[in-house]
Amino acid sequence: MAEHVILFAGPMGAGKTSAIRALSEIDVVSTEAANSDRTVADKPTTTVALDYGEIGINEAEKVRLYGVPGQRRFDFMWTILAERAEGVLLLVNADADNPVETAIEYVKEFFALYERGGIVIGLTRADLVPRALIEEYANALADEMPDVMIPVLTVDARSQEEMMTLLMTLIANIELKQAVADSIGVGVGSGGRRAR
Amino acid sequence: MTLAPHLDSKYIVRGELALGGLRDLAPSLRYASLLTEDGFSVVSVAGNEFDSNRFASMASSTQALADAVARELQLGDNEFVIVAAEEGHVVQVRVQGHPLVLAALFTDRETIGGSLTAARRTARRLTTLLMAK
Ligand SMILES: Nc1nc2c(ncn2[C@@H]2O[C@H](COP(=O)(O)OP(=O)(O)O)[C@@H](O)[C@H]2O)c(=O)[nH]1
Ligand SMILES: [Mg+2]
Repeated sequence: MAEHVILFAGPMGAGKTSAIRALSEIDVVSTEAANSDRTVADKPTTTVALDYGEIGINEAEKVRLYGVPGQRRFDFMWTILAERAEGVLLLVNADADNPVETAIEYVKEFFALYERGGIVIGLTRADLVPRALIEEYANALADEMPDVMIPVLTVDARSQEEMMTLLMTLIANIELKQAVADSIGVGVGSGGRRAR
Repeated sequence: MTLAPHLDSKYIVRGELALGGLRDLAPSLRYASLLTEDGFSVVSVAGNEFDSNRFASMASSTQALADAVARELQLGDNEFVIVAAEEGHVVQVRVQGHPLVLAALFTDRETIGGSLTAARRTARRLTTLLMAK
């Protein structure tokens, strides 16, 4: 596995910060500030710049995890961090007002990264709603973007194991895409990105 | 539940007073914003060429990143942030005792030291203003 840079995106309160804390092997760099908007997500703090964590693969290789603030008013941070990312792990909380629409909105927002590497969706806080059918999300995505392949899984953002499964799904997608790009690259004699 | 500062008239009125004082103190002030640490604009003065919400969001991120660097390097509390560019500089200070940041943009007619002094004095004055009932 090569070095990877993964962006954690999705609305405020979806669990991006929790997920990076669960996954990271280093102390996470956080930028939490007192939350003045308790109506959107009733939690004491919110991310205002980024979260940063790492998972080591070996001495030289690691997966870098960048979380963005969920609120659109911080979308300049989305742009800055999306530049270096290869894929998006999109978290959407099932207890939000319009979770299906929200998921599609964020997929569209980060679609350039779908094309670069991939997007997976983690549906969080599903235990807090009576029903959160994954099929609803998959069907809505298929209706909206028929040619797009985006895996949707239910996850608890606090669970290292569940988040790792979702992350590995994304990394497999990215490596597949890079391998295809490499083989095409070799065919036309241009140096594509190497995925080991 | 207590009202968030950007919706609380006490913060808005006293913030206006403090920022007005900063404008009098520093003629080279181009724009100033009092914001919640999570990036909501409470009040702003001078230049209307800026989007106050965007300015507040960016100031909030900048503040948090600078604080994170100080924390990471174990330097103690971060006291202020300065972004010095060719045609002006931004000075940011926290308002002691409140989840608020003062961010002020000055033209290059003022020295950074002069701007910093003015911004710090304004933040301290706001703390005092907010102490009164
Ligand atoms: N019940 C429940 N809580 C969750 C789940 N996933 C995350 N949370 C909680 O939801 C909140 C998410 O907050 P945070 O990680 O700050 O979200 P962010 O704004 O996306 O960074 C935290 O309080 C988590 O403990 C889940 O699957 N079930
Ligand atoms: Mg967060």
